Order: sequence, then C-alpha cells, then structure tokens
Amino acid sequence: MAEHSKSPRYGFLIDASLCIDCRSCMVACSVENKVSMDSTRIWIKETGITGNYPDLKRFTAPYHCMHCKDPSCVSACTVSALTRTDDGIVAYNKDICIGCRYCMYACPFEVPNYEWDERFPLVVKCDMCFSRLEEGQQPACAATCPTNAIRFGRYETMLAEAHRLITEHPDKYVQHVYGETENGGTATLYISPVPFEELGFPEAGTTSPAYSNRLVTEGTPMVAGAMLVGLSGTYLTIKHLKEEAAKERQEAEQTKASHTEEDGK
Amino acid sequence: MFRKLLHELRTMPKFVYLLVALTAFGLTVGVYRMYAGLGATTNLSKEFPWGIWISFDLATVALSGGAFTLAALVYVFQFEALHPAVRPTVLAGLLGYSSVLVILLFDLGRWDRFYNVFAHPNFSSALLEVSWCIAAYSTILFYELSPVLLEKSRWKWMLNVIKKYTIPIVIVGVTLSTMHQSSLGTMFVIMSPRLHPLWYSMLLPVFFLVSSFAAGISMIIAGATVSYWLFGRSLKRKTLATLSWFLPWILAFYLVLKFGELVIANETGGLLSSGRYSTLFWTELVVGAIIPIILFAYERVRYNRLASMLGAFLVMGGVILNRFDVTWFAMKSVSHQTYTPHWMEVAILVGVVSGLITVYTLVARYFPVYEETIAYKPSPREIIQPEDARLVSV
Amino acid sequence: MTHYITRRSFLKLSAAAAGTLAIGQLLPPMVAQAATDAGLLNAHGDGYIPSMCEMCVWRCGLIAKVKDGRVVKLDGNPDHPHSKGHLCVRGQSGVMNTYDPDRVLDPLIRVGQRGEGKFRIASWDEALDLTANKMLAIKDTYGPEAMVFSSTHNLSQPQFENILYAFGSPNYGTQRSLCFNAMIVANLMTYGMEEPERIYDDQLEYVILTGRNLMEAISTSETSALSDGIARGMKVVYLDPRFTKTAAKATEWLPIKPGTDLAFHLALLNVIVTEDLYNHSFVNDYTVGFEHLAQEIETYTPEWAAPITEISAETIRRIAREFAAAAPHALAHNGWRTSNFINSFHTQRAITILNTLVGNWNVALRASGGESSSALGAPPQPPYPRSSAQRLDGVPSRYPVVPLKLGVFQELRESILSGEPYQAHGWFISRQNPVMSLPDRARTLAAFEKMDFIATVDIIMNDTAWFSDVVLPEASYLERYDPLSPVGDRVFLRQPVIEPQGNAKSALWIYKQLGERLGLGDYFQYEDEEDYIRQQLAPLGVTLEEVRSKGYAELPPADDPGFEWNTPSGKIEIYSETLANVNFPAVPTWQAPPEPPQGQFYLLTGKVAQSTQFGTQNNQLLHKYSDEPRLWINNNIAAERNLADGDWVEVTSEVGQVHIHLQVTPAIRPDCVYLPPGYGHLSKGLTTAFGIGASDSVLHVTYSDPISGSQALSQTFVTVRKA
Ligand SMILES: Nc1nc2c(c(=O)[nH]1)N[C@H]1C(S)=C(S)[C@@H](COP(=O)(O)OP(=O)(O)OC[C@H]3O[C@@H](n4cnc5c(=O)[nH]c(N)nc54)[C@H](O)[C@@H]3O)O[C@H]1N2
Ligand SMILES: Nc1nc2c(c(=O)[nH]1)N[C@H]1C(S)=C(S)[C@@H](COP(=O)(O)OP(=O)(O)OC[C@H]3O[C@@H](n4cnc5c(=O)[nH]c(N)nc54)[C@H](O)[C@@H]3O)O[C@H]1N2
Ligand code: SF4
Ligand code: SF4
Ligand code: SF4
Ligand code: SF4
Ligand code: SF4
Ligand SMILES: [Mo]
Repeated sequence: MAEHSKSPRYGFLIDASLCIDCRSCMVACSVENKVSMDSTRIWIKETGITGNYPDLKRFTAPYHCMHCKDPSCVSACTVSALTRTDDGIVAYNKDICIGCRYCMYACPFEVPNYEWDERFPLVVKCDMCFSRLEEGQQPACAATCPTNAIRFGRYETMLAEAHRLITEHPDKYVQHVYGETENGGTATLYISPVPFEELGFPEAGTTSPAYSNRLVTEGTPMVAGAMLVGLSGTYLTIKHLKEEAAKERQEAEQTKASHTEEDGK
Repeated sequence: MFRKLLHELRTMPKFVYLLVALTAFGLTVGVYRMYAGLGATTNLSKEFPWGIWISFDLATVALSGGAFTLAALVYVFQFEALHPAVRPTVLAGLLGYSSVLVILLFDLGRWDRFYNVFAHPNFSSALLEVSWCIAAYSTILFYELSPVLLEKSRWKWMLNVIKKYTIPIVIVGVTLSTMHQSSLGTMFVIMSPRLHPLWYSMLLPVFFLVSSFAAGISMIIAGATVSYWLFGRSLKRKTLATLSWFLPWILAFYLVLKFGELVIANETGGLLSSGRYSTLFWTELVVGAIIPIILFAYERVRYNRLASMLGAFLVMGGVILNRFDVTWFAMKSVSHQTYTPHWMEVAILVGVVSGLITVYTLVARYFPVYEETIAYKPSPREIIQPEDARLVSV
Repeated sequence: MTHYITRRSFLKLSAAAAGTLAIGQLLPPMVAQAATDAGLLNAHGDGYIPSMCEMCVWRCGLIAKVKDGRVVKLDGNPDHPHSKGHLCVRGQSGVMNTYDPDRVLDPLIRVGQRGEGKFRIASWDEALDLTANKMLAIKDTYGPEAMVFSSTHNLSQPQFENILYAFGSPNYGTQRSLCFNAMIVANLMTYGMEEPERIYDDQLEYVILTGRNLMEAISTSETSALSDGIARGMKVVYLDPRFTKTAAKATEWLPIKPGTDLAFHLALLNVIVTEDLYNHSFVNDYTVGFEHLAQEIETYTPEWAAPITEISAETIRRIAREFAAAAPHALAHNGWRTSNFINSFHTQRAITILNTLVGNWNVALRASGGESSSALGAPPQPPYPRSSAQRLDGVPSRYPVVPLKLGVFQELRESILSGEPYQAHGWFISRQNPVMSLPDRARTLAAFEKMDFIATVDIIMNDTAWFSDVVLPEASYLERYDPLSPVGDRVFLRQPVIEPQGNAKSALWIYKQLGERLGLGDYFQYEDEEDYIRQQLAPLGVTLEEVRSKGYAELPPADDPGFEWNTPSGKIEIYSETLANVNFPAVPTWQAPPEPPQGQFYLLTGKVAQSTQFGTQNNQLLHKYSDEPRLWINNNIAAERNLADGDWVEVTSEVGQVHIHLQVTPAIRPDCVYLPPGYGHLSKGLTTAFGIGASDSVLHVTYSDPISGSQALSQTFVTVRKA
C-alpha cells in the first residue's frame, strides 16, 4: 500500500477565481488527444449565476481527472487497463480495456467518460497529456489557458503555491486546497473564492474509497482458502459422524439381531 | 418422427411460443446493440454507466443463490432430505448464470475482448473476482447438472466419473459462490461517494451473501411451487417446509446486520428523513424480510404451498429491490442526472429472460430434472384453484 | 455542469485524417520539403512549424504540430506578443477550420437560382476567366465604379485593395463601420492615430471597460493581461447592460442603460474637472481646447447623469475620484466594437478625453503604428488610376471625417438599393460575410438581387457565398502564406504548415491571377507567395528561410513619437478644429439616444467566446463546446410576462422577425434582450451550423452615427412573445 501514497511528481493548480469559462482548455484537450466528438476528458464546473440582479456572481473551474494518489479507478478496473505511473499519472491502456465501466462508478470524482457513440468504445480520461510531458511541453489544457487558471508543474511547487495564495489572500479564497487530502490526496489541486460544494465538487473524506476496497478484496483469497478448508472439514466431520452413527446403528442392530438370534436359540 | 415433432409442438404450452417470439425479438435487438454500440441503444451515460442490465444481473445471481445454498446443505451438511430439490435448483441456477453471462456480454463495451478478464487480471478489483467466480461457478453448475443430461444419453458411463468427484467439486462450487455473492457486494464498497448511506456499508459483501441465501431458498420454494402447477412436478411439501424453516433465521440475521450497521455507522438519522430513499429502504426490508419472517415462523405457512410461495415471492421481491436500489435507485450523481432504460435495453433483457424460461421449460419437459421428485398430472381446474392441489399431493 | 447543445453528425478528427491525406499525397509535398529544409520537420515529415492564427483578426502566433502531412495540434507561440504561448478557444479549434468537411475545395460556378445552392465545380481558369470577364463587362458598360468591392481585415488586404483601386472603383466596403468606426474616428480626431496601444503593466491600477467584454470577445493577450491584472488586485469597472463573463470577473459591474455611456463618461469628466482632479501640467503641455470642454461639461453632473444612466450619482462620483486617484496608472478602455448607438462617436471621444485629463499617455496608453511597418519592402507597382466617381457610401460627402479605408458599409448597401447616385452592378467579396454582418439581412439580400454578378472568396460555403455566382476557395490559414504582419518590433510570418487541400489557393495567388486577367498585372509584381514575402523582407536583410524557421524577424527600432501626435495641432485635441469645421460638435456633447417604446426591449448583440462573428459556427469543435444560442431575457420580466426558460418565442423588430428559444436569466437588464450573433445561417452548405439559432441581423435596423458612420447595433427595439 505504500506505493499508493507516494507523492505525485507533477501537479495542477487550478484557480477558480481566474477561469472565464472560455473552454479553450476543452478544445485543446480534444484536439491534442483526438477525443471523439461525442465525448470529452474535461468539463467546466460552475456555480451558475447566483444572487439577485444586479448583485450577481458566477464562478467556473475546469475539471478533469484528479490523478489521485490512491486512485479508486485503478483499484476497481477489472483488467489492468488503468494504472498509476511512477510520476503519479493515472494512465489508461486502451488496448486492454473491456468496457465494463466499473471505473466510472468507482471514481469518487465522477471523472471517467465513455465513447458512447462508438461501436467499439473506449474510456475517455485525462492522462495528463503524458506524451506532451515527454516532449517537455505542458499539458494542452494548462498550456493554452489564456488566464492561467490552470497551472502545471512540480506537485510540491503547486501545493506550496496554493497555500501561499490562500494565506496571502484570505479575503479572496476559501481557506482550503481541494485535492490536498480529498480521497487520499490528488495531483490536481484547486483554490476557489467560493466553497467547493457551490462549484459542484463532490464532498470527500481523507481516505480513498480504494482503501476500503482493498481491505475487502485483499482479504478475499484468505477467506476463500479458509472456506475450502472449513467446508471440507465440515463435510468430512459430518460424513464421519453419519458413518459412525450408521455403524453404531448397524452394530446395535446386529447386536439386537444376535440377541434375538441368541434369544431365538 | 415428424408427427412426433408436430405433436410436441401442439402440446407445448402456449406461453412458450410467446417466449420464443420475445427471445427472438430481444436477440435481434441484441445483435443491433453489438453493431451500433451502447450510445445508440441504451440510455447509459457518464453519470449512469450501468443500468437495468447490471441490476438484473445482480438480482439474478442472488436468486440463483439457491443452487449453492442447496448444494451446501445437501452435500456438505448432508441434509439428505433436501436432495430432491438439487436438480431443478441447479438447472435454474445454471440458466440464471448463463443469462447473466449473456447480458454481461451485451453490457461490455468491448465484448470483443472479454478474454482480457483472464489475460490481464487486476486482483484488487471486485469485479474481477466476480467475473472469475461466475465463470468458474457456471462451469461447476454445468458439471453438477450434467447427470441430468447424461442419464438418457450414450455417455451414461461418464456418470460414474462425474459422481466420483461431485463432493470436492461441490465444495469448490460453494466456495466460489460464497465468494462472488459477497464480491458482488464488494463491488459497491468502493462507491461510498455514490451510493446512498442507507445502503452503503463496508459490510455490503456480507449483506449480499446473507440475502442471497434467503433469495436462493425462496427461489427454490417458489420455483418448485410454480412448476408444481405448470408441469405437475415438484418437491415434497416436507422438503419445502424444511427449506423454508431456514428463512426466518437468515432474514432475522440479515435485519440485525443491516440495522446494526446503520447504528454503528450512525446513519439511523436517514431512516425516515431521506424521502424516496427511506421509502425504498423500508419497502425492501418490510416486504423482503419482516413480513416473510412472520409468515415463515408459522408451520402452517411452511407446509402450505400457496402461502410459502407467496412468502418466497416477498423475499425475492425484497432482494430484487435491494439489488436494483444498490445499482440504480439509490445511486446518486453529483450532477443530479437520472437514468431510465432505453426500450432496447428492456427488449434485450426481456429477450434473454424469455430465452431462459423457454430453456428451463424445455429441459424440465424432456429431461429428468424432477426425476427424484413426485410426478403429478394437473387438471386445468387444479391449475386455476391451486389450494385444491394440496389434497392430492403426497 | 455546462449544457452543450445537441450534437449533430460529427466528423471524427481521425476520420478526416484518411480523407485529406489521400488528397495531400496527390500533390508534390512542397510544404513538407520547404519545412524540412527550414529544419522544422524531421525526415518523417513530423515537427513543429511556427505560423499565425486567423480564427479572428487578432493574429496570435502559433506553433503547429505536424505529423504525416497533417496538422494535429496548434499551440500558442511564446514568442508572439499576441499569444504569449496561449491560444484562445477559437485558436485551438483551428485544426477543424482546416479540416471542416464543409470546406469548399474547388472553384464553384452557380448553376441554379441565386440562393438555391446549386453550383458546379469549375477549374480555376474557368472560374477566374468568368469573374474577370464579368467584371470587365460591367466596367465597359457602367464604368469601374459599378463594381463594388468588400473585404474584412486580413493580411492580404493590400493586394485586395490593389485590385479595386487599380480597377478604378472607389467603392470599398469593410467591416469597420459595423465594428469600430466610432472608436477609430474618435482616436483620429483626438490623437491623430487609429488606436493607441494599451499598456497593461504591473502598475496599472484601475480600468474602466465600456462594454468591452474581454473575457468573451477575446483577444488572447489582452484577455490574459486583464486577467493577470485582476489576479494581482487591479480594479476593473465594467459597464454593460449584461452580466457577461467579464462582469463576473470585474470588481464592479454597472448595468448601465444602453446608449447612455456618453452621459456616464461626461459625468466622470465633470467630476474630474470640477473637483480639479485632472493632471494640469499634462493638459497644459500636451492638449488643446480644455476650456471648451470645461464649459460644455458644466451641466453634466453625476446627479444629471444618474437618472439617464440608471447608475447612482454617488457611484459615478466615486468612480471618477478613484480613477483620478489611480492616475496615471488608470485606463479608460475605448472598447472595440463600439458601434452601439448613433451617439457612440461622442462616447468614444469622451473616453479618449478622460484618459487625456488624467495624463496616462505613455503610462497606460502609447502611440502605435498600427499594422504596417515602413521598414518592410513591397513589390513595385504603378500609381492607381484616378477615380472621379463619388463613393456610394457617402464618404466623404456625407461623412466628411470618416477615412476612405474605413467607409460606411451599410450606407454602401443602401445606395445599391436606391441606385443613387448611380447603380452598382457587380460585387467582389473576400473574407467577409455581409449577408450576416450587415444589419437588416433582408435588405442585404435585396441588394444582392440588384447585382449582375457576385463573386466571393471564402474557405467555406458561407451565407454570402451561398448567394454568389462564383465561389473562389481560398486555402485556409494553415495552408498558405500571407504578407508579413508587423507587431511591435517584430514582423511575423504566416506560412503553410500543410499542403492546401483540394484546389484551394492563397489569396495572394488568387488576386494576382485575377489581377492579370483584368489587365492589372503591373500591380502584382511577384512570382508567387514566397517571392512576395522575399520582397517584403529585402530591406531587413534576412532570408525567408530564417524567418520560416523562427517564425518572425526583428524590425529596426521605430522612433518613439514621445509626446507628439499626428493631429493638426500636434497635440491631443480635446477640442477638434476638424470636427468644428464640418459642423460637428468639437467637444463631446450629450445626445440622447432613442429609447424603446413601451413594451419593447433593446436588442443587444455581443460576442460569445466560442465563435468569431459569422464564420466559425460550422466548426465542429467549437460547436461541440458551445452553448445553445438563445434569447436572454431578465427573469423578473419573464415572470411578469409568463415566459419560461426554454420557451419558443417570436422576436419582432421594425424590419424582421425570428423565432428562438428563451433563456431566462438574471444576467441582463430588465429593459434589454440579448441574442448571440452568428447563428441562423441561410447557407445549407454549412451542415453543422445550419438550422441552429436565429440571426440578429434579420432584426437590426440600419442607423448610422452621422459622424463616424458606425452602424448603431444596439439601437434596435423588439417585442418578444410566446410563439
Ligand atoms: N470570441 C470572440 N472574440 C472576438 C470576436 C468574436 O467574434 N468572437 N470578434 C473580435 C472583434 S472583430 C471585435 S470588434 C471584438 C468586439 O469585442 P467587444 O468590443 O467586447 O464587443 P461585443 O462583444 O460585440 O459587445 C460587447 C458588449 O457590449 C454590450 N453592449 C451593447 N450595447 C451597449 C451599450 O449601449 N453600452 C454598453 N456599455 N455596452 C453595450 C453587449 O451586451 C456586449 O456584452 O471582439 C473580438 N474578439
Ligand atoms: N448582429 C451583429 N452584427 C455584427 C456584429 C455583431 O456582433 N452582431 N459584429 C460586427 C463586427 S465587430 C464585425 S468585425 C463584423 C464582421 O463581419 P464580417 O467580416 O462580414 O464577418 P466574418 O464572420 O468575420 O466574416 C469572415 C468570413 O471569412 C471567412 N473566412 C474565414 N477564414 C478565411 C480565410 O482564410 N480566407 C477567406 N477568404 N475567408 C475566410 C469566413 O468563412 C467568413 O465567411 O460584423 C459586425 N456585425
Ligand atoms: S481555458 Fe482557462 S479560463 Fe478558459 S475555461 Fe479553461 S480553465 Fe477556464
Ligand atoms: S479522479 Fe477518478 S479517474 Fe482520476 S485517478 Fe482519481 S479515481 Fe481515477
Ligand atoms: S471500463 Fe475499461 S478501464 Fe474502466 S474498469 Fe472497465 S476495463 Fe477498466
Ligand atoms: S492534461 Fe491533457 S488530457 Fe488531461 S485534461 Fe488537460 S489536456 Fe486533457
Ligand atoms: S484571439 Fe484567438 S482566434 Fe484570435 S488570433 Fe488569437 S488565438 Fe486566434
Ligand atoms: Mo469587429
């Protein structure tokens, strides 16, 4: 389990105070990753327009895979199509996936998407643009964002920057870095001027659901073994008891018979 | 030969024709689903990636739990009296599992790669456990059922070999089913953010296992009673009564677990205040557990075919609702999306279920499924008035 | 979660691959060869090529990722001051502009009725011969002035202008009078330059945006700069009858009554002058006519402006004080599409004077040479023939201060309709969609009906092309060279990153071919596109190859004009003699705009981030991530009138009627409705966009600002009722 909590190498810092809902990140992602026209790897979360005219407010923030430190999707995937790399990227192997869509339900952030309109569909999920990272480029969404609402870099740097911003501007930001501890911590970090629930972010505890899952699934082989032994034991014991009983009965009957015989003699 | 066939067709119960038609239609839609993909044929979405098919699968597996419950009781715990129930139950179980496998294949986005379940397993996945167990267990069910098919055939000699290994195979089978019945619950252990707290629990695997005992036994009872009227073949009342004796105990244990867990998890507050969810939760338990516990506590009920069948239906209804709740009705989405199945999803499901009933009917008609059971030829009148049936039963 | 509009049958990016690759392979891989020579592509033909975006007129620098002869991704070029590494949402979708399955890839000649959409494919020779012959026939019969030319802002525009001026026609329609005439003319009258550059440095403290919706009507670098400023605590006051995405980011949103920005700014001037908050030395040293202003604005108090603008007097006074206090690190933004009301010119003048009074010159604003550079060479060409004909758009006779190159497009159309002072017979259009961009679409179509011949250069079957006789397919901006683009101290290159698809050709090629057929070869003295650019680069002493690999060349530093202005007085003209001479108010003066009659609404227009004007709605990527275009109405008004979100409504103006779904929102003034522009296309050749939304151009009534010639796009009043 140690490997799961390993700190990611890269991280996003997304600032909801800066996002203007222009969707450049969405188009950039779709083009970079040839995302099918009916699907997307990235969304915009929004508060909607709140307040009464003319005292109105509106906040938005882009939303993609959080790249969990202990990813539930990886834990859940039936086959090994989802994995967490050493850099903390939660990657998807499209050649293995069987399309069970368990990952979609397992993800506590409701991230994985699906190519519903394809005949042979695949899961659609952010992979941190790792092919761009390999070429020394920023992920497509972060690179293009005209307002720098999406920043990308070393995880530690992003985390430190998040804390710096919220501490230095207590009037501007909610005092919480979403993703620092949520579901065991994620490589995607958020700061926001409004509470995260208002942006439509899921509430989350500090351990990943994957942890509970492992508690159960990792115990399963042992339980199975114990059952095999137990059931065999039960069978043999009962069989033995029954045979004993039968023998006893037989013996009893025999004795009874012999007695009768004897009696008859 | 031809005349014989014609005669068979003529004497075939009329509902079989309807079933065959529904099956054919369902499978046609199924072929279209494979051709056109999931988006065009289902109402599944990002927020509801699983739909009525998975709900059906879970309910069916639970109901098919009769097979392993009975196998355990008969072979491991050696309740010889229940032996006559084994064959029909195993047949129902096998067909149940087969339909689950067929539906799963329709459900898999990449059904063309189902073998990756074996080629690239992920051992921390509950779904992997489920798929392996179900695959292995279906094979075992087939093994357990093979005598029925072999007895009348040329390969009769194989029976000896098969019988020789029955016990170890059954033990493995029981283990596998325990595993997957519970793993089906484990699948939802990871969904804490999605599943309503009235259902969510770390104990879900235990809930699923225990409720599958109850569902399985009820299925045997109900199945036997239904086939009693349909085919005139059934289990002895004594056998059924023995079986139903277990029900109140299992269900009571289930209730204790469920409420105990809610108390410990401090979720009792939601029992009455969760609106729709409260209603669903209580329906499940009142219908599926509390009423049946009361019913089956009475010996009169246990020995009455109609009453025990009704009781069994209540339990099954409760468990089915539970599986639908866990997979669908009690599943929340942050975006507040909802799901209602596409007609094609329903058509495929109806097709598969019809196919299942058709096969059951045919096998029960032509193979010695109820060989060790009583034979009874019903008159139409008795079909209409089942309570009279008890007069002639042994 | 954002709701995206229903998707239509989509092209897959990967599917387009196969199709276009096949076409690409038929042509000699010249682009690939040249790019390889420039060191941009590797032996496999993969690599990164710098070029420039043209999804809008901002021209951000881009870097195209090319793989197997296909452009697969565009990124912002960090070296380009307009992108600084970023591309806006439209820029990102550029791949789909090029691979749009609806691209016109062959010259087309109309065979059916106009507007029926029946064309046949023709060779370039045939299409160009036909076009040239028609134009020459019109010239012979009615004189060259009977040919009308129109085109919107683009890099090959100098060559387009060569055709029309060499041909001898004075009739030139540009988008400018629909866009920024008010701002440009006001700047010319005040500063003697079209548009000073805005400086968003770290010290800028205070910005007033008058309907400049920078977070949606995006200019990447300026949008970024504003956002950066807001992030570091800069104050932004935003005037707009709508709560736009800019309003959501602004420190303060003022839902001003439409058309009353002038009153607001006059009141700011009043406070700054009467409270003596202005920069005396700057005003003394660098301006003329302050006294006239002081006198004029005496009565324009905040208390006077409050009921007009519906912004409280305290707010206005406070903003004036804050603005002056922040000066010189304070900027009153002119806005860009300033064509809102017939008083917009005065509004613009008031804004320029507001900047002047606080003396922010060379701090928040500085001189800008515009889009041309004297350091660049050009192919030689003879002088243009003199045209004695009057311009149809009334410049300069009716619009004495409007520069010829701006013109008054909507008046040009009116003259086509009236046949006065003479009848036009032919129309050559490039890179423009007047059927959609001019107000009152029915009138534009009627003007088309008067034409003997219409030719359009475009990349897709836009609505204007749909009604044309000949459609000439230009290569997309990723497939062609354009003349160089100077920005600051650099000159940037647009170069092809892939081979043109089909038979599409660059505008430089098309204009030259047409020019030669019109007997105007002397005006097109370049072999090909590369030769054109080499001639431009000649004085700089850099080779085209260098520029190709770097994407730009350095320009010799331009002289800093410092504190001199190209006005008659050489100073900033608060009082404009030029205006006075033609009997226009020489200092900004209040002019009440018309108001909607009881029960009617102001119809507002304004950009959405995911489309540019009327030409990108067919882009499937943008379509995918766009909201459904609906008519915004204030929630309280909707409730009063029993209208619900999603209702299908009938919107009627004096000149037209459309039907559309309603969007009930608190984000708009109760007296306004808003319709996103760019939808309601007539062309069925736009398979993605056709049938979506409704066109506000159908509703717009034609009114021109008498001074700048700006079309008053917010001055249309409509009724809304459930259909
Ligand atoms: N995404 C995108 N960006 C673009 C363009 C595009 O098409 N799409 N086009 C580019 C071009 S050519 C231009 S000219 C610029 C234009 O950019 P902007 O100058 O920002 O112009 P618009 O978006 O047309 O309108 C801005 C706002 O004016 C408001 N408005 C209407 N009437 C009035 C009024 O009387 N007073 C005030 N204060 N506000 C009023 C409208 O509600 C609207 O929100 O954008 C450029 N950038
Ligand atoms: N109702 C309403 N009317 C308006 C406005 C509004 O907001 N609402 N805005 C006004 C403003 S600010 C402006 S600037 C004008 C703009 O008005 P126009 O310039 O008429 O409109 P665009 O849509 O920019 O037209 C550009 C055309 O160029 C085509 N095109 C794109 N790329 C290329 C290329 O590479 N080569 C060639 N040859 N063609 C290409 C597009 O397909 C499109 O048809 O509209 C004005 N009119
Ligand atoms: S690109 Fe940046 S500003 Fe635009 S929607 Fe994405 S995160 Fe928000
Ligand atoms: S956010 Fe969801 S999809 Fe992404 S790593 Fe975490 S669990 Fe997996
Ligand atoms: S859909 Fe694919 S990636 Fe997701 S859990 Fe199933 S196999 Fe794994
Ligand atoms: S990192 Fe890449 S894959 Fe992930 S959302 Fe951004 S652009 Fe898409
Ligand atoms: S602002 Fe956007 S569309 Fe315009 S040139 Fe820049 S990237 Fe392209
Ligand atoms: Mo414009």
